[in-house]
Order: sequence, then structure tokens, then C-alpha cells
Amino acid sequence: MKLSISTIFLGASMLIAGSSCIKKDNYPGPNASLQGNIFQDGTGSKNTVQTCSGNFSIRLEQLDWSSTPTPQDIPVKYDGTYENSELFAGHYRVSIKGGAFWPVAPQEMDIRMGSTLDFQLTPYLTLSNFTADMVDSTTMSLHFDMQAPIDAGVPTVLEMQPFVNTTSIVGPGASIFDFSDANKKSINKEWADMTAGDKSPTIVIPNLIKGRTFFVRVGVRFNNDDKSYNLSEIIQVDVPK
Amino acid sequence: MTRTNKLFAIIIMGVAIFSSCQKLDIKPPNVLSDDQLFSNEAGIETYLAQVYRKLPIEDFTYRPGGRGSDGGFNLHHEWEHFYHAGGACGEMVGPYGGMDIGGGFAYWPYADIRDVNYFMETLPKYAKNFAGNTVNELIGEAHFLRAYYYFSLAKRYGGVPIIKNVQNYPQQSIEDLQVHRDKEEDLWNFIGDDLDSAWNAMPETNETGRANKYAAAALKSRAMLYAGSIAKFGSVNYVDGDARAQGYVGITADKAAGFFQKAIDAAKLLDGKYSLYRKNANKLTNYTDLFLDVQSPENILTRDYYGGEPERMHSWDATMSPNSGMNYMTGDGLSRCYPTLELVERYNVLDVTNPDGTPRRYDNLSDLWQGSDLEPRLLATIYFPGETLRGKLFDIRRGIYPNFSGTAAAEVAKTTRSFVPSGDHTTTYPGDPSMTIIGNAGMYPSSGSDDNTRTGFYVRKYINYKETDIKKIGLFSSTTHWIELRYAEVLLNRAEADIETGQLDDALVCLNDIRDRAGAPALTLADMTEDVVRNERCKELAFENHYWWDIKRWRIADVLLNNARFHALMPYYIHDEQKYIFLKEPESFQRNYNFDKKFYYEPLPGGELNKNPNLYPNNPNY
Repeated sequence: MKLSISTIFLGASMLIAGSSCIKKDNYPGPNASLQGNIFQDGTGSKNTVQTCSGNFSIRLEQLDWSSTPTPQDIPVKYDGTYENSELFAGHYRVSIKGGAFWPVAPQEMDIRMGSTLDFQLTPYLTLSNFTADMVDSTTMSLHFDMQAPIDAGVPTVLEMQPFVNTTSIVGPGASIFDFSDANKKSINKEWADMTAGDKSPTIVIPNLIKGRTFFVRVGVRFNNDDKSYNLSEIIQVDVPK
Repeated sequence: MTRTNKLFAIIIMGVAIFSSCQKLDIKPPNVLSDDQLFSNEAGIETYLAQVYRKLPIEDFTYRPGGRGSDGGFNLHHEWEHFYHAGGACGEMVGPYGGMDIGGGFAYWPYADIRDVNYFMETLPKYAKNFAGNTVNELIGEAHFLRAYYYFSLAKRYGGVPIIKNVQNYPQQSIEDLQVHRDKEEDLWNFIGDDLDSAWNAMPETNETGRANKYAAAALKSRAMLYAGSIAKFGSVNYVDGDARAQGYVGITADKAAGFFQKAIDAAKLLDGKYSLYRKNANKLTNYTDLFLDVQSPENILTRDYYGGEPERMHSWDATMSPNSGMNYMTGDGLSRCYPTLELVERYNVLDVTNPDGTPRRYDNLSDLWQGSDLEPRLLATIYFPGETLRGKLFDIRRGIYPNFSGTAAAEVAKTTRSFVPSGDHTTTYPGDPSMTIIGNAGMYPSSGSDDNTRTGFYVRKYINYKETDIKKIGLFSSTTHWIELRYAEVLLNRAEADIETGQLDDALVCLNDIRDRAGAPALTLADMTEDVVRNERCKELAFENHYWWDIKRWRIADVLLNNARFHALMPYYIHDEQKYIFLKEPESFQRNYNFDKKFYYEPLPGGELNKNPNLYPNNPNY
């Protein structure tokens, strides 16, 4: 069959007519951002709120379209900061999800390009005076003190354990099992029932490898909803050759 | 155009125009209508066969983490049975990278529940087609099936919407159809009520693969035990949240005793009707055959597998025994899921060390269990090193030590070990061509594949040892039936609820019946504790897809799976002594298993939440 010019015109005009039915997406792209810091209340320090576990995050719920939006979580990084630079501008509810801190009320805010929001959090327990000493060529002894900024209502103290890693990124989910989880100690007491000795414990890590550098911290775990940890600062330990 | 042609054209046009007046609303010939389906028992059987086929039975083919977007139940062409729930929570270690099944697979079977509701509403309209009590019995069976669906939802999500009637769109508005969740307690009570209706109406017997009234009672004993445990233990160990505050998850502790009593009462309905399988005086053989014998007086509800046309076969045999990449014990397939030492030592603690701490020396692998006082049920549930299947030996070695000195504990603690490993079954020990390093069924190095055991053990339950032709043990060649409800479970449900409510005498009778059949020593009244009955349940029902739900409803999963690692019994050969030793040490992959407390409930499926905002609040911490 000979393809006539009119047939071609007809086809082309149908294509054009049909394409006009498609709406152009003229909504703005994800050009907003939110970032901030997690501080330990009163000290301005981020050293002990940093976490390596995936279950401590900033939860965002965009309220512009629905009162029951699908939440999106921004993980808090190990240096105590968080950031999401690909957000849609809008009105959000921002809350803290997880972590061993006294709850803070969710905040509602408009997120635009360059929005920032810092959090001041009070831990259930602070782990202070943390020391790590080699007691012989392969054995390390850790000592620390626990204090409660707020005494009443601390969740059950479940257990404590060291976290040992070969990098300074160390904590739950980033540690060497045989040195860390293997030296876990059960506590399982209410804070009010803990003795002075319980609150000033020593943990021993045997069988370390000679000549290696380790980064060490301790954590105390609670029986709260996500069984999270308060953490000490990090100490670098060089095991002699 | 001639006159004739014009006339002809007009006639054609007329025919064409008037043919459009014919109705296009004709019934498709390949879909059965209600009039056909509900006209006789054969039609009913067709309808119910579809419902039973989709029933969420956690059998051989069940995948607890789902398979991609296919879900996890009754999958087409599913052969990877090593994706077993036990392999994610420490009953076994399997291909999962850890505790990877906590979030479920968005199971939401309301279309299937609608089929049951439709059956209940439609069948009475055709009552004249059925004689006697048939309609009543079939409605009772539908109540059982609906309860089964809701049970599978309740144990995953807590309270979900209870839909008792057929919903229709567009006759009903979207607002009407966007239903709210029901409270968890109400859902469990609804399941109990449905099973009571089933019990009252169903017949004493039914054809194989379909439920009778005792199946309803057995399921009720299971469901009410779950509800009682959730009330008792979930009120102590829980995650807070809106869904809990509003009762969509969680039951108050004061309701526990009532649910436990319902479990006991339901279990007692089977008294004298079913009994434990005791056909063979040899307890080991008897326990093995209990899972293979279709004629077992213990079977309450089974799902059949069969060849022929159409066929329905599974691959349990080809995916639980060592193929070793050379069709060793199986003709095809591979294994990836292995019982842990923790499970084995629930039965018997294995004494493989001398008083001075050095490993005992054995001439043969089989000396570990042959002539020992290990429980027959243990040996019938798990294959040990040195056993035989289809004429092939489970010759399992992790490697060969040139020589060995010192204690087992000191050896396991070493960072570098002196045994010789191998990644294949042909490499022989240097200087000894008569001896392959790991044996035909032995384990690969931890950096290698998990296609052979990681723990020293293999699954024996449901393995069809009677098929001795290895070539016939391939994928989709197993026809062993799955026992969904068996009397031993009912006794365990009853004993556990007894102990939770202080009825120790009754618990003792139930447990000793089970232990006698298992070849285990009898217990006394002083033994009737929560720990004992739980341990008995873990042993008796191992690999039957109970363990995962049990540690969840006991609310101990977050304690047992607290970044846990599981253990193996590793066999080694000491070359200069020509002896075997067994070392208890971490399984070869050393995987971590961690259970987050939020996993006591699965998240409601995201797609459903998007369609129906009234399903909020979602379960806590999601």
C-alpha cells in the first residue's frame, strides 16, 4: 500500500493530540534539606551521643498531604550529626526515634533549603571517668562510673559490654564480637537497686592481639523499647608487641 | 453500482447494525458460575479445594521472609526449603544472614477471607441441592477455614479488621470499606468463636486434607494458648506505642487465665479420639516413621503431596541432606540449613570431653551415639556424624589435625588452629591418599560455601529414608505429606496451659505420654515447670515451624537472640593417633542473630496503610 501524505499527517496529528493529554509534572523536585546535631544536654558535647547502631534516627513525617504519612528516618551519624539534602519542601513533624535518652516532644517545622535543627538530649545514664589500661601483655581492664542525670524512671539496666574495634568508628553494630559481645555482663537491675559497686564497674577483655591498635568504649544497655545503649567516650589503646 | 449490489449492501449493513443489539453480557464458558459450583458436592469440593490450596499452612514450601514480591505461602515452583524459619532464630543456622524474618512479607489475605465469607453467604441459597446436614457441616468447615486465616493474621499483626461479611465495591462506598483495626483481644476471641461454631457443626471425619471437628478443637487449643501467652508475657515485655495504648496490640494480663483454660478445654475434646503413633516397638524407628506413615492415629490435619497429573511435590529430601556437589545422598539440589548444638543439647548434653578437659578420642564417628543413652527422639530428629542414609555415610570432618594436644577449651580459643581444612571432597590428606580431608559429607571452610553442614548435623525429621534410590531424590520429587495438626502438639498445648494455670497433675500425664513415646525418662510432679514444658515443646516440634512463633509469644526472642551466635559439634580426625575428636565451638559462619523487640509484631503492610489510613496506628516502633 502506498503511504499517502495525508495518512502521515493524520498519524502525526493523532500523536500530538494524544500527547496533550499528559499533564506536565510542574511540582518542585526534592530541593529542601535538613541537617543538625545531637548534643548531650548541658555539655554541648557530641562524643557520647554518637552511635553506630542503625536504630537511632531522626524521624520525619510530612503533614502537607496526609495526617498519617509514611515516615522517613534519617540515621544519626557516628559524629552526632544528621543530614538529608534531598527532601521535598513542606511542613514536617520531626521527632527522635530510638536511643537511650529521655524523650523530647516532636516538633513541627517548615523545611526549606538549608533548614537546620539541633537536639539537646539527656541520656538515661552518663558513663564518665572511663579508663582503659593494659594489665598484662594481652589483657585490658576497663573502668567507668555511671551517673543518672534524672534518677526516677530510668528503664531497667539490662547489661553492659565493651565495644572494641580497629577504627574509631566503634559502638553497637561496629565492633569485634570476640572482644566485645563475648565480654558482655548481665546486670538486669533497676537503677534504684544498683549498689555503689554496680555503678562503678570493671570489665576485663582478655586475649587481645599483640601489636594492634584498638579503639575502645563501653556501653550500658536498657530494657527500653529498642534496647538501646548509653555510651562512653572512645579511648585508643595500643597493645604492645 | 448495480441495483442488486445496492440491495445487497443494504442487507449486509442491516445485519451488521442489528447484530449489535445482541447482549455482550454472556457468561464466560471457562469460569464456573455459582449455579454450577453450589449445585452439588463436586462443585463444593472444587470451591473448597481452592480455599485449602491457599490456606496459610507453614509447610515445607513456606518461606517466612517471603520470596521477593510473591509472599511466603503456597509459592509456585518453590524448592529452597532451607529458607526455614528455624534457620533464622537458632533452632538451626541457615542461609539467612541473621535474624532476617522479623518484618514478615506483608501477608494480607483478605481476598482469600472474602472467598470464605462468600461461601458462607451463598451456600444457604442453594441448600435444596444438598441432603441432610451437609450445608450445616460445610458452613462449620468454613468457620474453621476463616479462623485459620485470622489466626495467621493475629499471630503476625495483633489486632486487624475482622471482616465477617462479603464487602462489595462500588455498592459500598470507599469510606465504608476503609475499616478500622479491631483490638487484639477481640480478634483472638473471634477466632475462638469461629472455632466453636466449627466444632458444633462439623462432622467427626472428613476426607484427607480437609478438616474435621477435631481439627477445629486442635487449632483452638493452639490459638487460645497463643492468646494466653500474649496476655501473660506481652504485658510484661512490650514496646510502647499508640497501637498498644488503643488495644490493637497487647492483651491485659488478667485475661491470660481465661485463654489458657479455653486451650485446655479445647485440647480435652480430642481425648480418646486421637493417640500418639506407637506402631513400632523400636522407639527410634517409630519416631522416624511417625512423619512418613499416612495412616498415623496422631494426624489430625495433613496437607498431601502427590505425583501424577496435576502433581504437587516438594523438595524436602533434596534440600536437607548432603549432595556435596556430587549427588552423594541426593540426586539433585543442595542443603543450606543445619540444626544447632543448642537444639541438640535440649535433648541430651553431649559428653565429648574427658574430666581433664582434653577431647575424648573415638575410633569411629558413630561411637558418639551408637550404644549411647541419647534419646531416640533426638536421633530420629537429627542426623549425627557417622549415621547412614541410602547406604551413604554421614562422614563429616571439619579437617584433619596432624597431631593434637591440650584441652578442648584451649584449642577452641586459639586464633590460629593447626588442622588441615579443605573446600572439596576429593583432596586427600598430605601423605595419606586413602583419606579425604573433610569426607563426603563434611564441612567447607568458613570462607567457603554453606552447601554442606555448618554445625556437624543434618535434619532427619520428614526425611524419606524408605526411598533408597538416590537418583529419585531430586527437586520436586518428594511426596511426604505435611502434618499441620498432630496430637502431640495438642498434648503440649494442654500441658503448657496446665502449667500456666497450676494444673500440674494433668500436665504430667500429657508430658509423660509424649516422653514415653520419645524414649525419654518419665518426669515427676516436681518437674512441672514452665521451662520443662517449653523445652519439651521445642524438642517434640523441632523443624515443624513452631519454634519461631513460640519464642515470640513467650516474649523471650529478644533475650535468646541478643546478638547471639550458635554452636556446632565439629568432628576432626587426628592423623597420628588415628582417632576422632569432637569440639564444641561456634558454627563455621559465626553469624549474629539479633531480635529487635518491635518484631514481636510485624508491621502492617505499607501498601494497605496507603490504601486505608484508618488502619493507623501502625504497630509500635515502625
